[in-house]
Amino acid sequence: MGYSGARGGLEAILAAEDLVRRARDHAPAPWAPTEQITARFRLAVDRVLGEAGLYHEDTSAAALRQAEGDPLEAAHLVRAHRSTLPRLAVSEPVDPDEMVVLRRIVPAFREPDGPQLLGRTTDYTGRLLEQPAGPPPRQSRTPATPPDRTETQRRPGRFLDLLRKLDLVVDHRRADDPEPFDITRKPARPPAERSAALASMARAETGALVALWYRSILGPDGDIHEVTLGEVRHGRLPLRVRHPHTGNPVRVGEFRVTEAEAIEDLDGADEDRSRFDVGYGLCFGHNERKAIAMANLDVANRRFGRTGPLEQLLLLTTDGLDSAGFLEHLKLPHYVTFRSMVERKQAMRAAGEADEGPRVAEPAGQECR
Amino acid sequence: MTDVSREERCGLLAEAEPDELRALAEQCLADGADVRVLVGPEVGFVTAQVREPVAAERFLLGDVLTCRAEVELAGHRGWAMRLGDDRAAALAAAVLDAEAEAARPHAADVAELCARVARRRQEREAAEWAELAPTVVEFEELT
Repeated sequence: MGYSGARGGLEAILAAEDLVRRARDHAPAPWAPTEQITARFRLAVDRVLGEAGLYHEDTSAAALRQAEGDPLEAAHLVRAHRSTLPRLAVSEPVDPDEMVVLRRIVPAFREPDGPQLLGRTTDYTGRLLEQPAGPPPRQSRTPATPPDRTETQRRPGRFLDLLRKLDLVVDHRRADDPEPFDITRKPARPPAERSAALASMARAETGALVALWYRSILGPDGDIHEVTLGEVRHGRLPLRVRHPHTGNPVRVGEFRVTEAEAIEDLDGADEDRSRFDVGYGLCFGHNERKAIAMANLDVANRRFGRTGPLEQLLLLTTDGLDSAGFLEHLKLPHYVTFRSMVERKQAMRAAGEADEGPRVAEPAGQECR
Repeated sequence: MTDVSREERCGLLAEAEPDELRALAEQCLADGADVRVLVGPEVGFVTAQVREPVAAERFLLGDVLTCRAEVELAGHRGWAMRLGDDRAAALAAAVLDAEAEAARPHAADVAELCARVARRRQEREAAEWAELAPTVVEFEELT
């Protein structure tokens, strides 16, 4: 191995790696094929592809298998893989109103435009552990054929638009159209454009974002004081690129996302207290915690990002690879670093015992000789 | 479905199953037509750009794994891009696009394949709605 202040250990490292491979790949259990992982652990797969920032279920599943189920390590593997790939195009701007919903709830309002669609959820189910020895018997329930799905049922009206109709929301719509910040090419640092914050949150580690959201409610900053959700959606969006021969948009497929709108009651002295503000969250896959935290933090960042630590926390501390990478590196040999710290302590002690008194920094401006 | 636009055809070929693409592409090339691979097939990603609804601002949501290919068949260029990393499927889709562009003997089969994919999409969405519709809820409001 090569690391500042230490080297060698190659044979032990290879043996340790081999131990992982043998125990993982040849465990006394049936092999877990990729389709097994995507079908049975879809939320873990979605979390990894979201935090990695590369949408492909099979790649995410393979990474989860290789990482022995560790989502952060899996996201690391996928990001490393992504870094080897070329960017073929930037899509045409996707309009989230085009989402075909698989789930859509509006907690703030009973009768929004379009249905409240629970979809695939255990939100209303008791948390009772099931430990079946094998696959439970298949439920014989065959869904009745419903009437054809209407356009409102496929793409319900947005709650934000209802608030706009009622003139109850601050209008942030911009007349200009700035280029979005690309966090994969340049790290986002405060002060940053909103597009940088949204992109950072979309790819943030879920737990870090939820923790920051909770800190914003219960912590010392108090950046979120009303926690009302406009809506939460899970659904499919089309991916379109320009056809290289005709120049027209082509739909090359769909990707699933989770979307959230958070409503904030404005109460600041300089704010329009007769209206609400709305924050936006969107992330790859089905990850409602992340989208909800993102939506709340979006509006909190708009209000307080620059007057407190929030923007810095959002941009610099929520990326899983950044934080876990720094943490994990502490396990590498730091012999030289620590020895120098020990030597400093010993030098101070020796100075004290020689009655030289504590070392005091020279006053500023004094010439060093 | 013989009068789909070029873009609609590319979109439907992007959704077709790899096996049906490969089988039809082999038939297209069975007459020994002159074919050249111009691009790829190449695995990469398309960056998903979203215009969010609150401020109508664009931001980059993340990347979607894609594969693209471009060929020239009998003097006509065919292009394909599909989600995922199946190079053979992307190459086959590009061949089919060129076959249709050149109005070659299997152009009608390409159109038929596209029609089949479109029908499947409708059937899949209908089946999906049959599963989802029972979960539509109207909670009662306690007053």
